[in-house]
Amino acid sequence: MTSMVVGSNLLVDLLSGPRPAEWASLREAAEGRLEGRDLPTTKDEAWKYTDLKALAAIPFGAAPRATVDISAYLLPEMVGTRQVFVNGHHAPHASCASAVPAGVRFLPLSTASEACHALGTVKNGEVPELFEDLNSARFEDGAVILVPKNLKVALPLHLLFLTKADAPVAVFPRVLVVLEPGAELELVEEHHGEGTYLSCPVVEIRLGEGAILRHERVQRESPEAFHIGTLKAEVGRHAQYHSRTLSFGARFSRQHPWVRLAEGAEGTLDGLALLDDQQVADTHSFMHHAEPNAVSHQLHKCIVDGKARAIFNGQVRVAPGAQGTDAKQQSRNLLLSESARVDTKPQLEIYADDVKCSHGAAVGQLDPEELFYLESRGLNADDARNLLTYGFAADVLQRVPVASVRRALRQLVMARTQAASLGVLA
Amino acid sequence: MLSIKNLTASINGTPVLKGIDLEIKAGEIHAIMGPNGSGKSTLGKVLAGHPAYEVTGGEVLFEGRDLFSMAADERARAGLFMGFQHPIEVPGVSNSSFLRLAYNKKAEAEGRDELDPLEFDDFIHEKIKLVAMREEFLDRSLNEGFSGGEKKRNEILQMAVLEPKLAILDELDSGLDIDALRVLGDAVNRLQRPDRALLIITHFPRILETIQPHHVHVLSGGRILKSAGKELALELEERGYDWVLEASAAGGAR
Repeated sequence: MTSMVVGSNLLVDLLSGPRPAEWASLREAAEGRLEGRDLPTTKDEAWKYTDLKALAAIPFGAAPRATVDISAYLLPEMVGTRQVFVNGHHAPHASCASAVPAGVRFLPLSTASEACHALGTVKNGEVPELFEDLNSARFEDGAVILVPKNLKVALPLHLLFLTKADAPVAVFPRVLVVLEPGAELELVEEHHGEGTYLSCPVVEIRLGEGAILRHERVQRESPEAFHIGTLKAEVGRHAQYHSRTLSFGARFSRQHPWVRLAEGAEGTLDGLALLDDQQVADTHSFMHHAEPNAVSHQLHKCIVDGKARAIFNGQVRVAPGAQGTDAKQQSRNLLLSESARVDTKPQLEIYADDVKCSHGAAVGQLDPEELFYLESRGLNADDARNLLTYGFAADVLQRVPVASVRRALRQLVMARTQAASLGVLA
Repeated sequence: MLSIKNLTASINGTPVLKGIDLEIKAGEIHAIMGPNGSGKSTLGKVLAGHPAYEVTGGEVLFEGRDLFSMAADERARAGLFMGFQHPIEVPGVSNSSFLRLAYNKKAEAEGRDELDPLEFDDFIHEKIKLVAMREEFLDRSLNEGFSGGEKKRNEILQMAVLEPKLAILDELDSGLDIDALRVLGDAVNRLQRPDRALLIITHFPRILETIQPHHVHVLSGGRILKSAGKELALELEERGYDWVLEASAAGGAR
């Protein structure tokens, strides 16, 4: 593939390294599509607000294996149900799957060849995004999770992706989750790191009839990092997919969640982004009501300070014949500084007539009535502001079911909103 | 305790209070009554320091201090409390933590010892009995998902925690059923002491059967049209407000 014609060095650099041995057909197809393509620019509608020039200017190399002390990242509920990946490579000594129940496959992709036929098969009906293809072409490893029919997994599973970059590197974590009919699972996916790097994870999810997946996604990449993630979920008949993406880190992050709901299915795509300085967080979501009587919820919240910028583009498509659809979407944004900016756009395409679709977008400052209420109880103006800002975020965090994750994120948000000194953990 | 002289205030340039005079002494209970849109809630908000209202004239002294020289939070720490008609919800902040925060802010201002979480736990468990609040409401987020009645109960709990010198209760009875109204009315009565005062703002006289005022004032069109003893509340219950308004228009009610 070294002969491919591209305008920026980024793609050439990333694709010039050796192609990993496994998954040849997936990789070839991706490389074929990448041929002649270049990084999107702000002239592309989907990238209108996000300039990738800074990304293109960095010479990313392949990520070497590394060892990292993971003690700070361990979650007490999941000491025996975790798989850890460092710089895109599986870290066997940091991982521990001893508490994973019998019958559940929770393995690094590199040792799970039986998943081969399923990887790359969750298709969103369009040409994959460039960064998704980059992942397919160059991922080293990742996780496969297979839960058999009707098994309800009691313990949450923990996926930890760590990147430690002394020089700029690119990593391509890959995850495949398959729940057979009636299975249930809670999954915590975390991204942390140090240094300058590009992380392009791709998560593919397939839920059988009546299966339920609760998926917490925590993005705490380093302040110098770029994070461009793809999530694709095929939700079967009467199955439920509930995800919450919590973005705190990275100088630039982009999330591409895509969910297809079959008949009677339920989908949740909630999000929270806390941004400061020059951070940019972009979410382009797609909720596809492909069949009748499915329900979807989206609550996307951003707190934007400094010169940071948040972008939300929430597409909802109700296919012809998808009668009885119930789709709700809310984008709520809090601007904490004059230079902060939010661009939010709901995009509804409705091709059925018997549907309930609601959407709303709000961008603003804290509500003076709410500030007054707290001040009338003796809190000074700063404390009242900090407390309300914290509450705006905590509203999303308090629904996180895993206690240690909830606590850690609350502490993070308290510190970031200067509410820590108030001592008001709910 | 509170001395209001010729107070005028406006919102977005529209005058709402057009010359209020009112004296409230320690130990007294006053009721401000009036039809909807009369300006009675505005009076409470102006006294508490709501930022949307502009004080355009007059003077208010609270314990001898110029009330309008203090920000809303300073007024609260100085012992002024307003029970809101529509208390706001703050997700993610537990009710008990918030109560402790408010308590400690006031304690700090008064040079008293602050309470740590354990000490506050004992303190608050006594207080919730007063308003017959179930314990689970302490762990829930501040007012989040509370019914109208539960929010009002929480307002009176905050009053019990902060022990203000002057409490202004704005439409305490709205959203309350008869039983809850009696419980909260009794709680307010028990909090009342000779060194404290109460200002009850209400549309309906019902609440004044439990919290019996010494003075009743009818406010309409931004002015107090009539002041009398608690018998006025009974008369308003029987006859409504129109006769006061008509008498005033004829120039005689005052």
